[in-house]
Amino acid sequence: VLARAHTFTIDGLHARHVVVELDIRRGLPAFAIVGLADAAVREARERVRTAILNSGFEFPGRRITANLAPGDVPKAGPGLDLPLACAVLAASDQIPRERLEKHALFGELALDGAVKSCRGTLAVAQATSHAGLRGLILAPDCAREAALIDEIDVAPVAGLAGAARVLCGGSPDRLPAVRPRRAPGRTGAARARPGRARPDAGCRSVAGGGEIPGMPDLAEVRGQHHAVRAAVIAAAGAHNILLSGPPGTGKTMLARRIASILPPLSRAEAIEVTRIHGMAGTLGGGLASSRPFRAPHHSITAAGLVGGARRDRVGEVVLAHHGVLFLDELSEFARPVLEALRQPVEEGRVAIVRAGSAALYPARFMLVAATNPCPCGYAGQEDRCRCSEADLTRHRRKLSGPLLDRIDLAVSLEATDTHAADATPLLSSREARGKVTLAWQRQAARMDEAGAALNGRLDTRLLRRHAGLDGKCEEMVRQAGVRGLLSGRGQQRVVRVARTIADLAGSAKVRPVDLGAAIALRPESSLGSRAA
Amino acid sequence: MSEARRGAARACDGCLRRSWLLAQLGGQLDYRCRDRERLPELLALDDEALVRALGGRRTGELLARWARFDACQLRRAKGVETVCEHDGRYPGPLRGASAPRMLYVRGGVRRLSRLGAGPVVAIAGSERASDHGVAVAGALARGLALGGVTVASAATGATAAAAHAGARAVGGPTIAVVPGGLDVTPPAGRRSLLARTVERGCAVAELPCDLPGRIWGLAASERTVAALAQVTVLVEAEGNARELAPAMLARAIGRTVAAMPGRVTSPLSTGTNALLRDGAPLVRDALDVLELLGREPTRLDTDGNTNGLDPRLRGVLERVAAGVDTAGRLARAGEDGADVLLALSELELLGLLGRGDGGRYLPLAPAARPPPQGPRSKPAAI
Repeated sequence: VLARAHTFTIDGLHARHVVVELDIRRGLPAFAIVGLADAAVREARERVRTAILNSGFEFPGRRITANLAPGDVPKAGPGLDLPLACAVLAASDQIPRERLEKHALFGELALDGAVKSCRGTLAVAQATSHAGLRGLILAPDCAREAALIDEIDVAPVAGLAGAARVLCGGSPDRLPAVRPRRAPGRTGAARARPGRARPDAGCRSVAGGGEIPGMPDLAEVRGQHHAVRAAVIAAAGAHNILLSGPPGTGKTMLARRIASILPPLSRAEAIEVTRIHGMAGTLGGGLASSRPFRAPHHSITAAGLVGGARRDRVGEVVLAHHGVLFLDELSEFARPVLEALRQPVEEGRVAIVRAGSAALYPARFMLVAATNPCPCGYAGQEDRCRCSEADLTRHRRKLSGPLLDRIDLAVSLEATDTHAADATPLLSSREARGKVTLAWQRQAARMDEAGAALNGRLDTRLLRRHAGLDGKCEEMVRQAGVRGLLSGRGQQRVVRVARTIADLAGSAKVRPVDLGAAIALRPESSLGSRAA
Repeated sequence: MSEARRGAARACDGCLRRSWLLAQLGGQLDYRCRDRERLPELLALDDEALVRALGGRRTGELLARWARFDACQLRRAKGVETVCEHDGRYPGPLRGASAPRMLYVRGGVRRLSRLGAGPVVAIAGSERASDHGVAVAGALARGLALGGVTVASAATGATAAAAHAGARAVGGPTIAVVPGGLDVTPPAGRRSLLARTVERGCAVAELPCDLPGRIWGLAASERTVAALAQVTVLVEAEGNARELAPAMLARAIGRTVAAMPGRVTSPLSTGTNALLRDGAPLVRDALDVLELLGREPTRLDTDGNTNGLDPRLRGVLERVAAGVDTAGRLARAGEDGADVLLALSELELLGLLGRGDGGRYLPLAPAARPPPQGPRSKPAAI
């Protein structure tokens, strides 16, 4: 007797359709699973058997063969427990087989028959819709996330008995009450260096513009007006920014607040973010409402940053999609790790190819980096800096090169007296977000047809069309090239930033004052020139 | 050129043998040069005495090899000529008790002898040069080159690199003294320095071409630099013997040592400030050095001309020069930072400001310098 159940296995960011074919024959009692199942799937046999018996059903004492098709896709994870159990029930005529074939099932079973949630619910829901299936049966915990896909009927079930009831034509269980949501960025923050990061300094902005208690706010940054302005400019054009300065000047503090001044996620973006974070298991459930903020520690490996270590895990750059990737102590990161960042920073995606698998992940994030100006942190203060010429050269070499070439803005923070009269906050996150949102809208209106809607992502061709430099500005850029202050690429970066500053100010043309600020905020192109 | 027709210059065999011997004794010299005062004395010894002083257990063997040395054993490198004190083209200022007997020269012996006959100023700085020191050394070298003076410097350190680059920027020749052989690939940072130096100037070394730099070579190159120059200018120096060595070496052979003043709190200026207190002539820029040499400045560096500057820019420039030198601090007084940033960028475009470490701006020329009131009498050499 043959039964079929539909389910999915997680492969990178995608849910691959898997058909569970289950056959029960006369023979010695046995339960065999074939079809490239990993250890978690093979262990499902014991869970399925016990859950069926504990839910008041009968486990057939005959020879059971389950095949997971297609046979060449490795199946991972515990989400296949529920379809296997239902297929056993259908093959032993305890539930109707025809209805089973019209539903997708996804969930892990507890020994008492309860259904537990698994990572990747939103991707599974999308794949269910693509596979043309009518309903999706899964755990109540992740039902809200799945319900974001309109085309399918989501049937939350608390246990195997509930699933059997739904498959017999009964009604699903009720959705649980909405739980207070965890901050999605929390895992990223918690991974940051202990001691300096506040455990609650996870993430920020939220659709609707209200201030959420406990979220870091730009108003907490006292003084540093120059750096705060630069941060607002960076957010307004999604420019990558480098913050440098001596220890204790608030680089990390400012960086953690940059995500809070980005405009709220659009619905399409929110679904993408939910899908990625649902896959990583870093989301409480429901639609992501805030931009991701990822702050990996500098001991991270290249595989940890871009992904590729395991099929069901993505890298930090992918988790930062539509949000902020913060690299604190940039010069401490290993060279291969920084090199690995080049493709995602440049193209907004990362292509991972491993033996037997290739995947393309979205990774469109804003890079925020922080560094000390020299190994001891006090470069420029002659009486404090104790770095030798060789130390400085090594530090500069680490920071120069292709990655720094992709950073549009650099700003130095300096030690300030936070109790001084002028050490007031420049603006709050809400005010800054208002300005940034306006600038985003102006850019979107101007570049309607282009794929890249933000100045930080303009390519050369679009930049030329949209820059709008006046005659005096053209002369300044030319002069900077002649003086050797700006390389060809440096000129482009400066024009891009100047365009954003003009957008922030609501000016259609780039004025000299915008360009002047952009030139002053350019990254040190001459970092290595002292040694030449 | 008659030079080319007569073939490349070549030192006599006895002097080539000397360079071979120095290479053999490298380890011993490294050990002895910890006492920098004694190194010139050692190097002044003749070959046999030097072997007996340093050879130790190897004395006999070295003397035997020395006796049957053939100059053909030394590898010849392309483009490198040799010149010794027995040659008429050997630079005049170098002749003296402790000066090297012979030099390996890249860039031409004839050119070296021509440059050596003219005015030469040595620029030295600290091992831990600050961005201020580097910028000032570059500006000084530029002004000197415009004034027709050859800049000489060691080939190590950021100050020296800036001095060579500054002079080269206005087409001036420089002399770089290398601590090892000329044919050893220098560290990446110095490779282009040497390559570009020999386009107009010379690179010289005391050791055979294929030998890596040695510690004693560094100290020895400082003595060569000091001997080549009429005036040695210390841009920055800490107050220890290592950093003040160029000054001591120059004084020992009776050359003028000048110093640039620095902040009294900066450790990088303790040495130079001490020199000034002891009576060394104070120099602020190339004009002061030209005056020390008794020369009239022939051309003016247009970059340093701040007359006729927009008052708005002049105000910012003066504040930067007064130490309010970061965008954050400059903008703090004003309501909006945009005007200050524009002024900073414009000044940078005019070449009046440069970027230093930690987001600081450096004035590349004095904000206001009264025009020189005619040459003063040349101060006596110290």
